[in-house]
Amino acid sequence: MKRLIAISFLFVAMSLHADDKAAAVLARSDVFRNPIESFSVDVELTSFATGGKTDTSRFRVYGKSSDRSVVEFTFPQTEKGKYLLMLRDAMWIYLPSASRPIRISPLQRLMGQASNGDVARTSFTVDYNATAVAEDGDAFVIDLVAKDPSVAYNRVRLWIDKQSYEPRRADFYVVSGKLIKRATYKAYGTMAGRRVVTEIEIDDLLRPGNRTVMRYANLTPKENAEKMFTKDALGKW
Amino acid sequence: MLTKLALRNVFRNRRRSAITLLVIVFGAVGLILFGGYKAITFHSLRESTIRNRLGHLQIYKAGFERAEARKPLEYGLEDVAQLRRAIQNDKRVRMTTAQITLMGLVSNGDKSETFIATGVEPKEDKAMNAQRLVAGTDLPNNESDAIIIGRGLAASMHAKPGDYLTLMSTTTSGSLNAIDVRVAGVFMSGVKEYDDRAVKMPLAGAQQLLQTTKVERLLVMLNDTDDTAAVRASLTSLFAKNRWALEMKDWSQLATFYHQVVALYNGIFGFIGMVVFAIVIFSVANTIVMSIFERTREIGTMMAIGTTRASVWRMFLAEGLMIGVIGGVAGLLCGAGISSLINRVHIMLPPPPGYTQGYPLRVMLQPGILVTAFLIAVITSTLSSILPALKASRLKIVDALGHI
Amino acid sequence: MHQPPLIRLLDVTRTYPLGRVNVRALTGVSLDVDHGDFLALAGPSGSGKTTLLNLIGCIDKPDSGRIVIDGVDVTPVPLHRLASTRLHTLGFIFQTFNLIPVLTAYENVEYPLLLQHVPAAARRKRVLEWLEQVGLSDQARQRPDQLSGGQRQRVAIARAMAGQPKLVLADEPTANLDSVTAAKILDLLETLNAGTGCTFIFATHDPALMSRARRCVRMHDGAIVNEPLLEARAS
Repeated sequence: MKRLIAISFLFVAMSLHADDKAAAVLARSDVFRNPIESFSVDVELTSFATGGKTDTSRFRVYGKSSDRSVVEFTFPQTEKGKYLLMLRDAMWIYLPSASRPIRISPLQRLMGQASNGDVARTSFTVDYNATAVAEDGDAFVIDLVAKDPSVAYNRVRLWIDKQSYEPRRADFYVVSGKLIKRATYKAYGTMAGRRVVTEIEIDDLLRPGNRTVMRYANLTPKENAEKMFTKDALGKW
Repeated sequence: MLTKLALRNVFRNRRRSAITLLVIVFGAVGLILFGGYKAITFHSLRESTIRNRLGHLQIYKAGFERAEARKPLEYGLEDVAQLRRAIQNDKRVRMTTAQITLMGLVSNGDKSETFIATGVEPKEDKAMNAQRLVAGTDLPNNESDAIIIGRGLAASMHAKPGDYLTLMSTTTSGSLNAIDVRVAGVFMSGVKEYDDRAVKMPLAGAQQLLQTTKVERLLVMLNDTDDTAAVRASLTSLFAKNRWALEMKDWSQLATFYHQVVALYNGIFGFIGMVVFAIVIFSVANTIVMSIFERTREIGTMMAIGTTRASVWRMFLAEGLMIGVIGGVAGLLCGAGISSLINRVHIMLPPPPGYTQGYPLRVMLQPGILVTAFLIAVITSTLSSILPALKASRLKIVDALGHI
Repeated sequence: MHQPPLIRLLDVTRTYPLGRVNVRALTGVSLDVDHGDFLALAGPSGSGKTTLLNLIGCIDKPDSGRIVIDGVDVTPVPLHRLASTRLHTLGFIFQTFNLIPVLTAYENVEYPLLLQHVPAAARRKRVLEWLEQVGLSDQARQRPDQLSGGQRQRVAIARAMAGQPKLVLADEPTANLDSVTAAKILDLLETLNAGTGCTFIFATHDPALMSRARRCVRMHDGAIVNEPLLEARAS
C-alpha cells in the first residue's frame, strides 16, 4: 500500500515536472520563430501543387507581438499595392482599386495562403498549453492543446531538437482530431543578431502533394506603432 | 318592355349576334382557362415550396435576421426540445424539424471547393421530399457522417456514392474543424447554381463540425396551409406567454421565387384580360353601331311618337347588357365544360426543370374566376354600348325619319 | 261656337342647307287649324308641305315665327323636351308605316300606352278596342313582316289613335298603297275623324285624298297659295 502511494506521488511529481519542463522547452523553442517583438521581415512564398505547378510571391511583413501584422505585397507586379491586415480575430485586405479595405471571413482565411501565414506565425507559448512531453530520437515531442476555443488549430504536436531547442516540425490538428497541416522548419540562419528559422515548408494534408515553402530574409527590428494595425491605417499606405 | 325589346333586338340579326356572342364566349373561356391554369400553378408551386423546402413557419432566435453574426450560430436556438413539444401540441401542426445552414470547404484530396450545407434531421427531411436522387441513397437515419451532394458538386469533386470527402469549416468558437464524410447519394434540385455547391448532411454531423448543440432554425409544417395565419398568431402568444425570445417568419415572407412567379402570371393574366376587354368592346360596339345604323328610321319613329332620348339610350344600353349577359353565361358554361374536359383527358405537359417526367395539365375551376369572367363580359359589353347608344339618342328626328 | 284654334302658325319660316345651297322650305307661312278639322296640305314635292307638317308635329324647329299648339307656345321649347307633347297630344302616321319590326301588331299598338304609363288592364282594353276598330283583331299576334301594306297602315293608325291624341299628322299615308286599299284607309280615317272629333292633317299630292278633305290648303314654293277659309275670315 505504502509502495503504491509512493509510486503515485512519483508519477505526479514527474508530470508536474513534465509540465514545467514542457513550458520551458516551448518557450525556448518559440524564440527561433518569433524572436523580435516589433519587426519587419521579407518573405518569399512558393507554392507547389500536384502536377508541378509553382507560384512565387514576395511580401514585406510588419509584425507586432505575435498576433498583429501588416503584409505588403511586393511581387509579382500585379499584386503590388495590396495590403493585408492580419489580427487575431479579423483579417482585412486593401486593394488599390477599392476605396476601402474589405473584411475577409474566417472561411476565406482558410482558403488561401493567409492560412499558411497564420500557421507560420503561431505562438505556441501564448496560445497553447503543453500537456505531455515525450522523446522521439533526438527530439522532444510536445503535445499542445489550445488555451481558448477560438484558436484556429485545436491541437499541435511539436518536435523540438533536444540539444538546440530548435523546432523541427509541427503537426496541426483540428477539433475532430484530423491532421490538417504539417510545418517543417527546414533551415536556420542568423538575422538581426539572432538564430532564427529562415525556411518553413507547410504541407496541406487535406490535399496531399500541395505544399508551400516560405523563406525569410532581412529581419529587422522596427518600432511599429499600435495604430498601424488598424483598418483605417491600412487605407493610407 | 325594355327587356323584351332588348332581347328581341339582340336576336334580330342572327348571324351578327352569333358572331358577337362567339367573341364574348371565346374571351370568357380564355380567361377561365388561363385563370384556372394560373390558379393551379400557384397552388402546386406554393405547396411544393412549403412542403419540400420552407415549411409553413420558420422560427429563429430573436435578433437572428438583424444581427451580423461574427461566428456561426451566434444567434442559434438552444434546447429546442421543449419548444418543439409545445408547438407539436397544436393539432394543426404536422411536424417540426430543426436545421442548420453552414458554409465551408469540401476537399477530395486533390482540390477544394466551397460548399453550402444544410444540416437536417434525416427522417423529417425525407418526409419533405426536397430533392431528387440521381445516384446512391438518401441520408441514412443513423449515420452522422454520411452526406448527399448536388450533382454539380459531385462532378467537380469527381465523387460518386461510396467515396469519401473532407468537409472543413470554422466552429462556433472560431476554431478550425474538418471531418471525413461518406457520400451516400447525389441529388438534383433543378437549379444548377445550387447543385454546384449544395450538401445535405445530418444535423448531428453539422453540429459536430460546428462543435455546438444549437440549431439555426426550426421549421414548422402544418396539415393545411390555410391554417398558417392562425397558427402563427397562436404561436406568437405562446412565445410571449413563456417569454421565449424568438422570431418567426411565415412561408410567404420567404418564398421569393413563388411571389415572382405569381407576379409574372398575374401580369400575363392582366394583359390577356385587357386584350379580351378590348376585343369584346370593339366587337360589341361594332354590332351596336351597325344595329343603330340599320334602325335609324325606327329610332326616329320612336322619338316622333314620344319616346324620350333617355329611353332610347336605355334601350340600346339594355341591348349591350343583354349581349354581355348571354355571352357571359354561355362563356361560363363553355369554360366550365372545357375545364372539366381538360381535367379528365390528362394532357401531358413536358417535364419542368430538374425533372424527367411530365405532369398532366390541370385547370382549377374557381368560383372567383368564373364570376370575374362573367363580370368582364357583362361590363365590357355594357360599356361599349354607352357611346353608340348616346349617339342614337341624339339623332335628329327629321333626319332619322328620312334615312333609308 | 268659337273654340280657339288647336294649332296656330304665325309667319313661320324654315330654311335648311342642302350641300352648299340654302333651301327656303317655308317662307312666312301662317295657318290656323281648328279642333276636328280634316285638313289636307296639298302641293307638289318641294312645296314645303312635309316641312310644315314636321313643324306642327314638333319634330322640327322653325327659324322664325311662332307655333302654338293647344294654347301652348312651343316655339322656345327645344325639340327633345317636346317628347311629352308628342306623346300625349299628337299621333303620327307615316308613308312607310314605320312599325317596330320585332313587336307584334298588339305590341306596336300598346307601345305608346306603355310610354304613357297606362295601367295594364286599361291598356289591354284599349289595345283590343283599337285593333277591332281597325279590323285587325285576328292579326294581333302577327309581326309586321307577316302583314300586308294595308294591314300595316291600319296597325299604324291604331297606334296613332290609341294614345287619344288631339291631332294626328299623316305624311302621304296612302302613297305606298294600291288604290283600293288606299280608299279603304281613307274611309277609316274619315270615320275616325267624325267619330272621335280628333283633328287630322295630311300632307299629300294624291288628288283622291285632296278631294276627300274638308279643307284643302294648297302650297307652292314654301308658301300657301290659296286658303279659302282664311280668305273668308279675312273678309
